[in-house]
Amino acid sequence: MNYLWGGLILISIVFAIGSDLHDLYADTYENDRVYQLQLSDAQSQMRNGESIELVLTGSDTSLSGQYKTDNKRSQLVILYSDSLPALWQARFAGDKDKTLALSITQAENGSFKATLPSIVWPRLEKMMQAAFDMADFAAKLAIGLIGLMALWLGLMQIAEESGLVSKLVKVVRPVLKPLFPEVPPDHPAMGAISLNLAANMLGLGNAATPLGIKAMQHLQELNDHRESASNSMCMFLALNTSSVQLLPPVTVIALLGVGAGGLFVSIFLATLCSTIVAIIAARWYAARSVAT
Amino acid sequence: MNHIGIVILPLLVASIVAWGMWQRVAVYEVFVEGAKEGFEIGVRIIPYLVAILFAIGMFRASGAMDFIFGFIGPVLEWFGFPRELLPMAITRPLTGSGSLGVLADMVNTYGEDALVVKMAATLFGSTETTLYVLAVYFGAVSVRRTRYAIQVGLMADAAGAIAAVIFCNLLFT
Repeated sequence: MNYLWGGLILISIVFAIGSDLHDLYADTYENDRVYQLQLSDAQSQMRNGESIELVLTGSDTSLSGQYKTDNKRSQLVILYSDSLPALWQARFAGDKDKTLALSITQAENGSFKATLPSIVWPRLEKMMQAAFDMADFAAKLAIGLIGLMALWLGLMQIAEESGLVSKLVKVVRPVLKPLFPEVPPDHPAMGAISLNLAANMLGLGNAATPLGIKAMQHLQELNDHRESASNSMCMFLALNTSSVQLLPPVTVIALLGVGAGGLFVSIFLATLCSTIVAIIAARWYAARSVAT
Repeated sequence: MNHIGIVILPLLVASIVAWGMWQRVAVYEVFVEGAKEGFEIGVRIIPYLVAILFAIGMFRASGAMDFIFGFIGPVLEWFGFPRELLPMAITRPLTGSGSLGVLADMVNTYGEDALVVKMAATLFGSTETTLYVLAVYFGAVSVRRTRYAIQVGLMADAAGAIAAVIFCNLLFT
């Protein structure tokens, strides 16, 4: 996990810097290029704060924007438009609500020279923004889970105290016992595990997560090293990540227009394969960790 | 298909409560007792989720993924694994919404009847967002050393991807 996590971060930074250096060296964004502009209506007046219309000399691309000027420099503030040259569009970095400020200087014969703001280190900037956004999103996601979690954990508590869980355990014990040899057969962990797997199979995602967490808590009670995952936990995670599903999320897929009928079979078979591989791999690792 | 889910959920809730009352459990008090933990768990998983999601966010935005596609795409194609499926296979274990986006994108580009789209949908349906599940589940019990769980999860994802290609080839061609 440490290597994967650290690797993801380091690889990202190396690639972002590499791609930005490449862009800088190859001058992909043509930072210093000067564009010739002309007034589309030669009669129009250039006044501070008013909107004017200009044409890119030698093309029929027209620009309309707000002209801003003071003693030192003049700017033309334009909005995003699909008719802009690709290099100009790149300045918006995908955010079409942004404005772009061209610095313009008046040349002879009534034309203007315009330069675009330079793009430096766009990847790095975008990457750090993504990192901050995701950190923010992660916390919101966790907070958003609280309500559902409380609901299902509450119901789960009733099911446990009323003996419903232990009844369920009796039914599923023969199937689960070989997968979780370290869990005593009457332990509530078995109940939570079977409820989580049942919720997964039926495609009840928002019930499956709280039940899975409950199962993890029960497995933690049996764990000798509290900071480190037990074999049972790894097996449980293996079953969950390979997602044993009888009713796969075909609804989601069907929403996108893919015919869901045939997919039913293929998803079921693929899920079966990934689950079998997960079980075998978890058992193999568990056996190996005992041997060493 | 989730009609079944619509019926099952209320039945499940009702039968848990009904059985509890039948067994003379103080249902309300016990429910509140159990629900208390919800908040604690939600807060406890935050650092784990932040760690995982922020690394994934950086990786996605850095452009490293496109480079990797260009690099191993041809190699996989040689084994009969379509290159167009690669973004899906790599995003699926990382993010749920991201991989759904990839799937929507593929439907747009290749059309809903294309074989690769069927493969991608199969892949999407047959595996989970491994890293997210790992972060939430281990985070909830404050386990930091995950030992071999990540390897097993990724192996299962790879098996799911390969199986998706094989079965879609068998079923849809």
